[in-house]
Amino acid sequence: MENKHVLIVGGGPEGVRTALEKAEQGMQVTILEKFPTLGAERIPTDRLIKPDEAFVNPDLDKVRSHENIRILTFSDLKNVTRENESVRAKILKKSLLVDNSKCTDCKACIKVCPVNMLDDFDEGMGFRTAVDYCNPQTGEYNIYKEDMPVCQDACPVNLDIRAYVGLIADGRHLDSLAKIRERLPLAGSVGRICPHPCETACNRQYLDEPISICFLKRYAADVELQQEIEPVYATPEQKFSEKIAIIGAGPAGLTCAHDLARLGYEHVKIFEALPVPGGYFWVGIPEYRLPKKLLQREVDLICNMGVEIQYNARVGQDITFDELKNDYDAVFIGAGCHTGLKLRIPGEDDYEGIVDCVTFLRQQALGGLPEAKGKLIVIGGGNAAIDSARVGWRMGFDEVYILYRRTKKEMPANSWEIDAAEHEGVTMQYLAAPLEILGENGKVTGMKCIKMELGEPDASGRRRPVPMEGSEYVIDAQTIVPAISQSADLSFLPKEHGLELSRWQTFEIDEETGMTNVPGVFAGGDVVTGPGIAIDAIAGGKQAAAGIHEYLRNK
Amino acid sequence: MIYEKEKRYIIPFADVPDERAEMPEISVDERRENFTEVETGFPEEMAIKEAKRCLACRRCLGCALCWAECEPEAINFEIPDEELDLEFDEVVITRGQDNAFHPFNSDLGYGNYPDVITDLQFERMLSPTGPTKGMVLSPRDGELPARLAIVQGHPEDEEDHLFSSVVLGVNESIIALNGTKDLEVTLVSPLCQSFQEKLLPAAEKITGLGILAGSPDSIERKQDEEALTLNYSENGEQKQASFDLIVILTKPKISSELVSLSKKLEQDII
Repeated sequence: MENKHVLIVGGGPEGVRTALEKAEQGMQVTILEKFPTLGAERIPTDRLIKPDEAFVNPDLDKVRSHENIRILTFSDLKNVTRENESVRAKILKKSLLVDNSKCTDCKACIKVCPVNMLDDFDEGMGFRTAVDYCNPQTGEYNIYKEDMPVCQDACPVNLDIRAYVGLIADGRHLDSLAKIRERLPLAGSVGRICPHPCETACNRQYLDEPISICFLKRYAADVELQQEIEPVYATPEQKFSEKIAIIGAGPAGLTCAHDLARLGYEHVKIFEALPVPGGYFWVGIPEYRLPKKLLQREVDLICNMGVEIQYNARVGQDITFDELKNDYDAVFIGAGCHTGLKLRIPGEDDYEGIVDCVTFLRQQALGGLPEAKGKLIVIGGGNAAIDSARVGWRMGFDEVYILYRRTKKEMPANSWEIDAAEHEGVTMQYLAAPLEILGENGKVTGMKCIKMELGEPDASGRRRPVPMEGSEYVIDAQTIVPAISQSADLSFLPKEHGLELSRWQTFEIDEETGMTNVPGVFAGGDVVTGPGIAIDAIAGGKQAAAGIHEYLRNK
Repeated sequence: MIYEKEKRYIIPFADVPDERAEMPEISVDERRENFTEVETGFPEEMAIKEAKRCLACRRCLGCALCWAECEPEAINFEIPDEELDLEFDEVVITRGQDNAFHPFNSDLGYGNYPDVITDLQFERMLSPTGPTKGMVLSPRDGELPARLAIVQGHPEDEEDHLFSSVVLGVNESIIALNGTKDLEVTLVSPLCQSFQEKLLPAAEKITGLGILAGSPDSIERKQDEEALTLNYSENGEQKQASFDLIVILTKPKISSELVSLSKKLEQDII
């Protein structure tokens, strides 16, 4: 009993009372509380009170000075495990950032603190400053500081959103852009097309709606354009001579190249299969969302750092992967996912007029799509489906349909993209799936479909569509664009490449460095994650650049 | 460390504009058969206004103004976190300082009207260490309220919730009445049997407190009225009354973290 060690989780009135009780019995007590201070007085809820004994005040002074009590405030219980008769606890005691033994309670810090936040200690009834003492009678001074705000934490590249948005609020637009470019070289492009996980996380949504973070980034980039400023992406004086090959000039490859050039690497070369840069930015995202001129300018800024792009250089065809591995000190694979998946239904390979969304969007972007006549049907519910439909509508198809097997609610495309497509006159056919492609004289004439209904939720949490028996119907169409998903085309690899692949034919990489199982070969972007959002691919490029730097410097 | 006043990204709270800026677009007619960019970008004024909506999440920004002012050098951004690995013979799980509560009827206007507050907020208001040093003031205008209502947020709930929340409501009334001149308090809640038997006679003797065994339906502020209107039902009858401040009795919610800890250690939360 004497030397029993007790952990009290929770420093509220109940925890404090129990702690005192146990400590008086001679036990060694530790109180753990998430908040920076122990519990204050509470009003009883088990009996009626007299006005003069209003609050039950735990004897905090006694707790604080008790020799058997150790107080861990501002602490998190990270892990507990039961081991035989005892419990092992891993605890993170966060720093108060104030040495309370030196503090004289002069309150000078509170007077200068510019941050006013709702007072969590007072249940949001008033304001406090970021440096504060919580309970005026017993609290310790502490600073409420997080590693990063929720928006920055949600951003795959951890952009300092609070800073760049604040700079715009102050009218310092170019400083804001500089802040963005500290971590993101493609500000204007990303500011147009990012599905902004930061806004999904934004705390302001609990008040009304999130801050329009993404468009503010675009705004900062546009200011520079409007003022016709030609910026220079700086490179350091100290240079490194190693040669690095990058496969693919998409968001991942361009960012990787940029980061390497900024670290001082003088010989960074990108091998690009297409005659244009940007990868999916150029051939996947339509012009009306991301103008090519603007994208070209941002690519040029990276090239001006000394990065070379060799166009029309398809690895595995114009140059072999092994040549790259032998001639360069490191290789980054950022080839993306540019193969559209097939519907796997009868008639798919028999007629002219059926073209997957990746090819459809690419041909449109590069010129050379066949005529846009009659009815276009796009099959799928993702952003590529919406892009294909909106592109088709612009190309001049008479009617544009999107066929999706679930409902609008389950559509993976961004809601604002779906709304825009509907707004422009794209017709949505929900709860329908293709069964067979129909054609005549070698050309597509229509499609046999079946109506679906939603059943039980599947592994993705979405309700599984089930075909309704006997509900088959035929719609006519002159062009059909399956937009169901994309995969990586790994045909550039030699047979004996030795690289570890997942069952989805994507690269397995080290989570910290982005390196594959083959030393010196790194990968990032869609070839690692599967088809995803640009900012994730950019994060992959950044990670690999840091990984390559570390690898080359320790070689 | 940087000492830079320019890094103060915070803006005055009252200036925070409320509506999210909508991206200007070209019309649908202008989009057909061309690939002109649809979204035209924010004009400067709109961008600045939108940027000012950012609450900067009101956490320490690391500006170090406090550090520069701190004469005894108590503030130190370099004090590290501590990781501890400890062994115990016994663990006691209590609720701690986390005062989360279960959501209640959204028609009661909490969040829409500043003069509708929770029992937890009212408790802080009544505390000598609280934001008003124990004075009862309406957060809407800072005035002393004349008519205060304390209403049940979870009228359908079981016996022990009703008992403890009604007792808290009565006790908060006792403190409020003691410290506020000319205040009238009305408590609206279904009363559980144990409360009626044990405490109702004593509660009914409290001067200034009226207890209505009913349940609140909605709270609204009618046009051109200062006071809030409470719609409630008593004995199956719909009624209305006006109040200057309304407190909602909440039901405590235990965090999932504590629940999983309690499961893992097979121990109840006390």
